[in-house]
Amino acid sequence: MNYSVLNPDKWVSNYADILYAYALPRVSDTVVAEDLVQETFLSAWRARDNYKGEASEKNWLFTILKNKIIDHYRKKGKDIVQSMSDSAITERFFDEADHWTQDDKPLDWGIDYQQGPETKEFYSILESCRKKLQKLQQSVFAMKYLDDLDATEICKALGITSSNYWVLIHRAKLQLRACLEKNWINS
Amino acid sequence: MGMLHITCKKATLLIIKKEEKKLSWLERWQLRGHLTICSLCRKFEIQSAFISRIAKEYLQSVHLLGEEKKEKIQERFEADRAGS
Repeated sequence: MNYSVLNPDKWVSNYADILYAYALPRVSDTVVAEDLVQETFLSAWRARDNYKGEASEKNWLFTILKNKIIDHYRKKGKDIVQSMSDSAITERFFDEADHWTQDDKPLDWGIDYQQGPETKEFYSILESCRKKLQKLQQSVFAMKYLDDLDATEICKALGITSSNYWVLIHRAKLQLRACLEKNWINS
Repeated sequence: MGMLHITCKKATLLIIKKEEKKLSWLERWQLRGHLTICSLCRKFEIQSAFISRIAKEYLQSVHLLGEEKKEKIQERFEADRAGS
């Protein structure tokens, strides 16, 4: 019996915040993130006899959470066929010859691209633009920029093909760029 | 219209791919050729890199759960433990 080193009474107060901070940007949904944290504690409690004390209590809980996030991605990967069929989204940016349309062509932002925007307003626009993306695109974004996972690993986690991945990323980038331009630069 | 000629749609895809992986020899030539003649895609290239950088910084900012939600999680967790 090794779980004398586990301290379940303190789990929520010690780890709920950091587990949540890890989960939220990865699943892009506060309710889902809370549920995953809740389930992590429950699974950990049920598996407490398997805890060998090889990893710290914190790392052990994180491992459980990470597995739950991956399961969550897998489930979402199954919805991909549905979201991919919505091909009208990229078409909007380009004309019949696949060149920029007059309405959607990139404008001059008149900023120093090497610097940060450094305004609260910009980040709230970024957040609202990100929320307009499909959940799956948000997750791909998070995996790409937060975990520095490459395309192969993201495809594996989501169970999608690499061409699906590039279509997702391409659309997400086009949408995010257009949304930022419309709401931030032109406001 | 040779194989070096690509559209803006294709060029933007290659720009995004390039941020993450090495393009093939052909893709590099296609993109280079396109960017020399297309100022819109040149603009897109700069803005895309900017968005990637900012998105990363933004996503890494910390979000907290809040006391109320923590209490809720604590309550449910205790109920689960009592039940199992």
